[in-house]
Amino acid sequence: MRNLLQLLIVLWVTLAISQNKQVLYGMTDIPQNLLLNPGSKIPQKMHVGVPFLSQIHVNGGSSGLSAHDIFGNSNEDINTVIRNKIFELSDRDFFSATQQLEVINFGWLAKNKIYFSGGLYEELDFILYFPRDLAILAWEGNRDYLNYEFDLGEVSTAGDLLSVYHFGANKQINDKLTFGVRAKLYSSMLSYKSTNNRGTFVTTLGDEDSPNIYEHKLQNVDMSVETSGLASLQDLNGSAEIGKKIIGRAFFRGNLGLGVDIGATYDITNNITASASILDLGAIFHTKDVESYAVSSDYTLDGIELLFPPLLDGESTPPYFDDLEDEFENEVPIDTLYNSYTQFRPTKINASLAYSFGRSIDGSDDCNCKKPDGATARNQQAGIQYYSIFRPKGPQVAGTLFYTRRFTNFLAVKATYTVDSFSATNIGLGIVADIGMVNFYLAADNLLGYQNLAKAKSVSLQLGFNIKIDRE
Amino acid sequence: MMKTNSAYTLLGIFFLIAFFSACVKDTDFDKADDIVVSPVVELDLIYFDLPAITFFDTIASSPILSVSDTTDLPFLNDQDITDKMNRVEFFFKVTNSIQRDFQVDFQFLTDENEVAYTTQIPVAQGTVASPVITEYIENVEGAALEDLTMAGKVAVSVTIPSSNENLDGTLKLESKATYYLEF
Repeated sequence: MRNLLQLLIVLWVTLAISQNKQVLYGMTDIPQNLLLNPGSKIPQKMHVGVPFLSQIHVNGGSSGLSAHDIFGNSNEDINTVIRNKIFELSDRDFFSATQQLEVINFGWLAKNKIYFSGGLYEELDFILYFPRDLAILAWEGNRDYLNYEFDLGEVSTAGDLLSVYHFGANKQINDKLTFGVRAKLYSSMLSYKSTNNRGTFVTTLGDEDSPNIYEHKLQNVDMSVETSGLASLQDLNGSAEIGKKIIGRAFFRGNLGLGVDIGATYDITNNITASASILDLGAIFHTKDVESYAVSSDYTLDGIELLFPPLLDGESTPPYFDDLEDEFENEVPIDTLYNSYTQFRPTKINASLAYSFGRSIDGSDDCNCKKPDGATARNQQAGIQYYSIFRPKGPQVAGTLFYTRRFTNFLAVKATYTVDSFSATNIGLGIVADIGMVNFYLAADNLLGYQNLAKAKSVSLQLGFNIKIDRE
Repeated sequence: MMKTNSAYTLLGIFFLIAFFSACVKDTDFDKADDIVVSPVVELDLIYFDLPAITFFDTIASSPILSVSDTTDLPFLNDQDITDKMNRVEFFFKVTNSIQRDFQVDFQFLTDENEVAYTTQIPVAQGTVASPVITEYIENVEGAALEDLTMAGKVAVSVTIPSSNENLDGTLKLESKATYYLEF
């Protein structure tokens, strides 16, 4: 219990809203922006990411809780603090973590004016909703909760480790519209999910007819965990062997899946631009090394009934306790299933509306002479962004206000203010520099949180290096 | 131009320093050592319902003045559980509609059948028309708890002072245990 608690604390302190890269979105100077909107405008004619360094992304958070809430300097007893927090949180609060590491990323402008891009990245995703009733049961026990139905359906968690191979095409259709798509092949290394659970546990005082003081009841229990890639690891010895096996799955030996990203950018007027994208619209088909555990039951426990059978000398009494254990196992059976299952990827939606102003950077002040109907690229942009990700208990949504400023043609900075499930004071900053052909970027949100990480409910960080050749 | 470039480089460096000097403060993670999870769990224990005829052998036509039965309670001396047990409170409720007093003895035995802990409940007589309820609470902590947690089973014996074939009614026992745990 305590170890689990400490693990959760470490998770949300070291890592921070899930997968929202609001600072990177729309920063066309960063080639990885294409992974957030395959239909983004592209200034370069070719790019290659520095292997393993082109995008490093970590992100973790919890919606209702920071480490400071628990460990902050106060005279209140920590156990009182934790107890109050358990009651304050709801079963819609969650802890989440995402980490991505790009192995390769490349792109080039072909003769037909289509910008092709592709690559490979590794991704880790984890979410755990707070099982409030179970936390109360574990923290307090059942004595003070007679007749209270503890909701086992609050158990909701999922985790994935996968590699993603992708290839996309982007084309400027006309002066106003740029459109892009990206196909993705997922190779799942590890996956588990326990989301559609239900059932209650309740202790009630027995009535006239019941044989003992209480009745402990499991009611309408229907719970399951689906795992893929985990069963075969149990037979392996040592972390080296396990590591080797998991890494092997990154290269098409895991369970495979398919997905698509779609995006577009549209210049509404000379200085207003809209964009939108849908990412990871797809699913992984788990067919290999699949093991699911399911329990479905209605059961009442009354205790151990003694029968006082007449015994001859040397005869032993019935094995009451073992019989009760057997009865429990028969009435509350945990079935192991090997059925294949399909897992939908957490689909993400991004959208933005931007207003450009200030000095023109790709033509005269009045018009973009290369594309007279399109917007003129200017050194400043302000606007709004929308982000949502589909999670087991419904979408998580974030709204962002942003301001981008290009200082010279080699340095651009973007500032964001985001409101999401984690906080309403999330300020982010991103910087991108083109030094010769080397493109470097660093983006982080929750900057206020960095002054004291313990108070941050979420943090997110992306950085990377690319080699980039701009268009003439 | 060169001047502005270095200004921006400085800006970038500042940004990096701010970033990497992120810290955790006003927090005391040593408090983790003070975290104590102390649930109070109540569970049914044993129960039985003995008819009066249990205490008379109709074939031999002789009274049976004592009956007993034993069950394993393997969780009582399970080290993983006993380490976390601070106190146990047993609650017994006996409903007697037999016209006799009874004594119910509980002998908690080790796996080697040595007596580790005992308790007795004297039960008052009742009638079928108006059964008598005897409630009994046994609180076990400290040294007594150490004795109790040596035991892995309990032998229950029910003793009647005298009996005949005309006795009627039942002796019903219900019980629960309250475990005060601490992690």
